[in-house]
Amino acid sequence: MNTIAILKTVSLTKKYSSISARGYAVQDLSFEVNKGEVFGFLGRNGAGKTTTIKMICGLLLPTSGNAYINGCETVDPNSRRNLGYLPEQPYFYEYLTPRETIHFYCKLKGLNVKEREQEWLRLSGLLGLESIADIRLKNFSKGMRQKIGFAIALVGNPDLLILDEPMSGLDPVGRKHIRELIQQQKELGKTIFFSSHVLSDVEQLCDRVGVLSRGKLVATGHIKDVLQQDIRQVEVVFKDVAVSLMPFLKQRGTLLRTWENYVQFQFDTILTANQAIAECIHNGAVVIELTPQKETLEDYFMRMQIIEEQQKKKGEIYYSRVEE
Amino acid sequence: MRILAVAQNTFRESVRDKVLYVLLLFAGVVIIGSKAIGWISIGQDIKIIKDLSLAGMSIFGALIAIFVGTSLVYKEIDKKTIYTIIAQPLHRYEFVIGKYLGLLALIFGVILLMSMMSAIYIVILGGEINHWYFIASFLVFMKLLLVTALSVLFSTLSSPILGAIIVFCFYVFGHATGVLIDLPRQFEGSWSKPVLEGLYYVLPNFANFDIRSEVVNGVPVSYSYVTYIIIYGVLYSTFFIYLAILMFQRKDV
Ligand SMILES: Nc1ncnc2c1ncn2[C@@H]1O[C@H](COP(=O)(O)OP(=O)(O)OP(=O)(O)O)[C@@H](O)[C@H]1O
Ligand SMILES: [Mg+2]
Repeated sequence: MNTIAILKTVSLTKKYSSISARGYAVQDLSFEVNKGEVFGFLGRNGAGKTTTIKMICGLLLPTSGNAYINGCETVDPNSRRNLGYLPEQPYFYEYLTPRETIHFYCKLKGLNVKEREQEWLRLSGLLGLESIADIRLKNFSKGMRQKIGFAIALVGNPDLLILDEPMSGLDPVGRKHIRELIQQQKELGKTIFFSSHVLSDVEQLCDRVGVLSRGKLVATGHIKDVLQQDIRQVEVVFKDVAVSLMPFLKQRGTLLRTWENYVQFQFDTILTANQAIAECIHNGAVVIELTPQKETLEDYFMRMQIIEEQQKKKGEIYYSRVEE
Repeated sequence: MRILAVAQNTFRESVRDKVLYVLLLFAGVVIIGSKAIGWISIGQDIKIIKDLSLAGMSIFGALIAIFVGTSLVYKEIDKKTIYTIIAQPLHRYEFVIGKYLGLLALIFGVILLMSMMSAIYIVILGGEINHWYFIASFLVFMKLLLVTALSVLFSTLSSPILGAIIVFCFYVFGHATGVLIDLPRQFEGSWSKPVLEGLYYVLPNFANFDIRSEVVNGVPVSYSYVTYIIIYGVLYSTFFIYLAILMFQRKDV
């Protein structure tokens, strides 16, 4: 199958003029996002996600390397004909109303009067802006602002959406709403590139992820390949375990805590957990809760950091790539 | 088209920021000024009111040009409203030109209103107004074209406060560039003489745009001078805007 990279970076590098600890905010970043994909761009605070996105959107000039949208270099404004961008925190012209805002961005996208009116109807319907159409934005809450920001990104129905932490600062309902919007755009065949440091958002939405650590891309691929998604440990809560059974349990697993007549153990494999459970039930105890432990993004970042430091000691540059 | 969208938005922003209150201020100054003249009852009060009105247009117009102009691009970067603008298929020069034209449109409107208001007031007081009064007003606008261009240039370079101070200095010295070639004897033979004389040719000469005293006193001004001054203003402003675009072209926002 021949897929086209709608977004591509080649050795993209950014060094801010003000001196920062590691020098480069983004270093030698090369990746491709294919048409129709949802790509999650992961990294801890300060990893360089926003810097990368700003280079792609033409806000920052790369120190070296290039980014391309549909093969067009991002220093050329024409590359942004088919791009929608939601900044980390959306900022607006506070003196405008939602209706005026959408019309303004429509003009910048080059739509004519009729198309602008249609676009307003489409977007206000999609995001439920009708009731607030003529209120100035300075009065709006965070959730409403994110909606307006999303509407701006969708102006002109672009094929590529770049969203910088689209769900940060929202309540669960707001997060769900944004998630549904992303899902909807995906079903329409749009390509979505979004940054996040929250694993659950990424897991539910992304086809592929790229992980950024200290300005470098440390992994790309399917999320299951990047994270060790096999079950690593199992935590079990028992009730009414006989005191005589405790040495047996302590032999198989680790006692995490005890309270009232409950105990919580951690077992290294499913098998040992099962053996322990069988023995306990046989002796009149009850299993209250069983939680398999998978690697979280936080664990992953910790693991990456440890590996990176080890490699640094050896004087090697760490780089791993998990291809699909 | 995209330039117009940016211009229109800039215009709208200034109007909603209540910049137009300056018109009330202008009216207040002219009316109180004319009353004061009446109280001290020095003769020729119509002339003085004309003079006062044209000077008022120049000063209040310059206040708008400097204070709104020096924050024009800076504010967009500072408040990050520029993010979603640059992410559009918009050339950076279109953004700068659009911002500039938007503010110019506002200043043009303000000067037009001031000029009409004061003309009507003068006619009510029994004075006479001819087309030279409006030509003088238009040259005030041409001067502001240049002040605005300079302000926009500084809004791509520095904070509004610093920019406003610098442009204000330009404005004050630009009205008195004559002293630079009319240096007193002590400068003879010193190195500062060629430097100061050089400045005379480099600094925009704002005094060129003032045909106020000629118009008020009925001294003839040639149309060719007016034409020359308009071209002077347009070329100089274009140069400043060109520099502003150069500065902004590769700026990280
Ligand atoms: N304008 C700037 N000048 C100098 N350094 C900067 C600038 N902006 C960001 N940095 C630095 O560059 C690095 C990457 O920042 P960036 O904002 O891209 O990270 P991020 O991954 O988006 O983080 P977050 O999750 O907090 O949004 C950080 O170390 C940051 O301090
Ligand atoms: Mg960020």
